[in-house]
Amino acid sequence: MRLMACSGMIGYGFTEVAFRRGLAAGVEMIGCDAGSMDPGPYYLGTQTPFVSEQATRRDLAIMLEGAVSAGIPMIIGSAGGGGSNAQLAWTRNIVEEIAAEKELNFRMAVISAEPDWDFLKARIKAGKTAPLGPIDELTSVTIDATARVVAMMGVEPLQAALDGGAEVIIAGRCSDAAIYAALPLMRGHDPALAWHLGKIVECGAQVIEPRVGQDCIIGTLGDGWFEVEPGHPEKFCTRTRVAAHTLYENPSPSELKEPSGILDSANAQFEQTDPRTVRVTASRFRPADVYTVKLEGVRRAGFRTIFVAGIRDPILISQVRDFTETCRERATNDLAVLGIDATNAIINFRIYGEHAVMDSREPAVAGPPPNEVCVVADVIAETETESRAVLAKVRYSMLHTDFPGRLCISGNLAFPFSPSDISVGEVFDFNIWHTVELDDPLAPFPIEMVDV
Amino acid sequence: MSSKTKLADAAKVIRSKNAGPLLLTIDVIFEDAETYDRVLASGILSAEAFAGLYGVSHNEVAVMPYAQALAVKITLPRLHRSGGPADTDVYGAQQHAPVLDLEF
Repeated sequence: MRLMACSGMIGYGFTEVAFRRGLAAGVEMIGCDAGSMDPGPYYLGTQTPFVSEQATRRDLAIMLEGAVSAGIPMIIGSAGGGGSNAQLAWTRNIVEEIAAEKELNFRMAVISAEPDWDFLKARIKAGKTAPLGPIDELTSVTIDATARVVAMMGVEPLQAALDGGAEVIIAGRCSDAAIYAALPLMRGHDPALAWHLGKIVECGAQVIEPRVGQDCIIGTLGDGWFEVEPGHPEKFCTRTRVAAHTLYENPSPSELKEPSGILDSANAQFEQTDPRTVRVTASRFRPADVYTVKLEGVRRAGFRTIFVAGIRDPILISQVRDFTETCRERATNDLAVLGIDATNAIINFRIYGEHAVMDSREPAVAGPPPNEVCVVADVIAETETESRAVLAKVRYSMLHTDFPGRLCISGNLAFPFSPSDISVGEVFDFNIWHTVELDDPLAPFPIEMVDV
Repeated sequence: MSSKTKLADAAKVIRSKNAGPLLLTIDVIFEDAETYDRVLASGILSAEAFAGLYGVSHNEVAVMPYAQALAVKITLPRLHRSGGPADTDVYGAQQHAPVLDLEF
């Protein structure tokens, strides 16, 4: 069977040339991942997308029209970025607007992925959760401190929706590879090949050259092999890129953990069958003894305000770390006069030019000092009002505090902007990155069927 | 004559990225099998070396060669969780620089 991943991410785009060519090649499903936790915890915390509505609408409209006219299922995973209920609703709303505008009719499944907190606490009590990396064990206290938690579904909820006659599936948080493995597995294809194909295509044009933006990729499953080729006639899949793809954003080079088992591509063979196509054989799949899904959760850490400023004075640059600590102390004292306890806030001076990127891991030994440095004064406090008040005092103290040898007595900072102080927004922190064992792979993923 | 080669001059790709918000993963990919074998044999891509470079314990570092892609993957804990209050690099995409200067 043949299928197509339209893009690495809904809203990152694809060419219509590639899309039409894929449809003409007889693909039997199309899909697209819409999410990632890579942009950080903010998007799940606030349940907002990290792609624009315009870009999302453009990609979804072409996909919906194509899928309905070809009579093939379309699956969107991790709707709205984080796959939470509000992000799912945002995506569903866009899909329904497109359908109304283009007079498209289809049976749609909307699958949510926010597990019930009591369910999670019961699993914790039963010892059915485990950390997924260096993070504390999950407790019910952690759950109570959480702003939002999603579970990452496997193929089973998608398959249940397809069984129920869904032509379009909009899923909350979902394994990227499951989007593409669901239908082949229902048709009895080798799990190793189905999952490996899913993993290769889910990032779209990552395995395509030239690297000029996102685009469609076509996967074909045969007996004992699968092939991938670009939808676009002038692009290429190369053996090197396909072989290297299991490395990407994965802790292991060749093992990919999915709810029902582990894809092992350590001995997979990759063969360039023509200049555009790569054939893969000999992947393995090791079924898991217990079915587990990933939990991703965030807690709120406060409200962030920042200012950005340059320092050009070499006398100040030579002692900038001592200076910022003096300013922190002065600001804290000034805030106490206002009745604000600044020790409740996080004040972080990010000094670009002075290991702001690698922090304490910066190995570079001190060289000649830079001509200029950039300071990002970063304040996180409970509320926006408090955060702005702390930042304002930090700004004043940095602008006007003396330092040894100071000549520039009218001001220490070059602000590029007026206003200088910027409300960045809520700050979140990942506090749940765990697995939970499930007795029923469908349990935390309720499916709503809608006739659009 | 023993002249040393910098990894940056021998590898095709040296990149870092998150593997989830808790882990940093560094990929070193080579153009040809001979260089891949030579670098592996030199031992410079060891858990101990990365523990030293990134200030973590060698028990926290996994070094995993993947011959099919002529690649070596090194995974270790992030300094701060991705996108949290103290993080400096949300995608973990600029944490690879110390690896460029390794010599074999």
